[in-house]
Amino acid sequence: MVRLTINGRVVQAEKGEMLLVVMNREKISVPAICNHGAVEAFGACRLCTVEITKNDWNGWKNYVTSCLYPVEDGLIVSTHSETVINLRKTLLDLHLARHPHSEHVRQWAMEYGITQTSFEEIPDGDDCILCALCTRICDRMGFAAISTVGRGHGKEVAPPLNEPPPDCTGCLACAQCCPTEFITFSDSGTSREIWGKQFEMITCKECSKPILTKDFAETLSKTRNIPADYFEVCDECHRKATALTMGKISQWQREDTAS
Amino acid sequence: MKKQFSVDPNLCTGCRTCELACSFTHTVDGKAGRPRIYATPGGFEDLWVPVTCLQCDDAACVKSCLVDALKRNPETGAIELNEAVCVKCMACVAACPFGCALVDPEQDKVIKCDLCGGDPACARFCPTKALTYKPSELKASKIKVLG
Repeated sequence: MVRLTINGRVVQAEKGEMLLVVMNREKISVPAICNHGAVEAFGACRLCTVEITKNDWNGWKNYVTSCLYPVEDGLIVSTHSETVINLRKTLLDLHLARHPHSEHVRQWAMEYGITQTSFEEIPDGDDCILCALCTRICDRMGFAAISTVGRGHGKEVAPPLNEPPPDCTGCLACAQCCPTEFITFSDSGTSREIWGKQFEMITCKECSKPILTKDFAETLSKTRNIPADYFEVCDECHRKATALTMGKISQWQREDTAS
Repeated sequence: MKKQFSVDPNLCTGCRTCELACSFTHTVDGKAGRPRIYATPGGFEDLWVPVTCLQCDDAACVKSCLVDALKRNPETGAIELNEAVCVKCMACVAACPFGCALVDPEQDKVIKCDLCGGDPACARFCPTKALTYKPSELKASKIKVLG
């Protein structure tokens, strides 16, 4: 156990825990866009930067990304000091210059009072902030269908060789978790398209509502040992069927007590 | 003593108070949640079945989750979904053979019954006691210990 001070409040934490995890638990909020509970911290967005110091640092301070900083005894953390706010403003200012058309980036900048970037705007900048949350989640799920490619300003998220990724199952986790909703997909009811790959959807055999892609269902059946017929009916029709089964049992009970 | 959530369709009148109680209990930021329990017609006259999560021993939702967002709470025996870990791939929604893992489109998340952390609101508000949450009456040897 270690004791540290965050914004004047003494909190306890396990040794080696990341500062952001401790702050989340203590309901102390800092912006953390590239952070997700399913994957390890990555430190891409830098917005969770906080000010740290210790009593024996003779007034010296350091600025660290809280998601990657393991807590230690006697740490004094400030999440909203003037310097930290200015640091975050600069980061958001840069984000805004790079992604001027993203509503999400605009919203985050607005929260820190920035409506217009002070840097030179990239007019054709896309909405991908390169947080790599999509690729990390894809790895975590065991598919690793997409990855970041290139370096420097040419870096982007893409499937191998920019061709439809063979390992993608069309689960949409990447698109669901993208903080700027940059990853696009289309659902037509019987088919789905993402990363340039076409998927056939399984539709409910009772009401023909699309459930999930055939590829994803096959993967789950194979790797997780789930009977394939579980995926043939949608949740609502499953509930109806459950009610009818339980209804039959209840009706027998009724008839039993009546006779 | 372990408590058990039980459903008696023969006492259910289909009043849907459970759905309301569930929805209000899971309100977030002023948005009422989607109910995790549904009073559904049981196929016979005046027969309603409140369909909710059965907290299966060998649950398909837990098996289907590729990021381990679904874990059993040893205190209550309920399988709980960790929203911070969920990646919304909808595997559990598709896998549950009872249709009790759902999507809440308003709050934009996957939901399932968590027994309200040990005090299920549906059971508390059920006017006919069709839903109850009380110490198990079955012999301990007959129940598989959850978790």
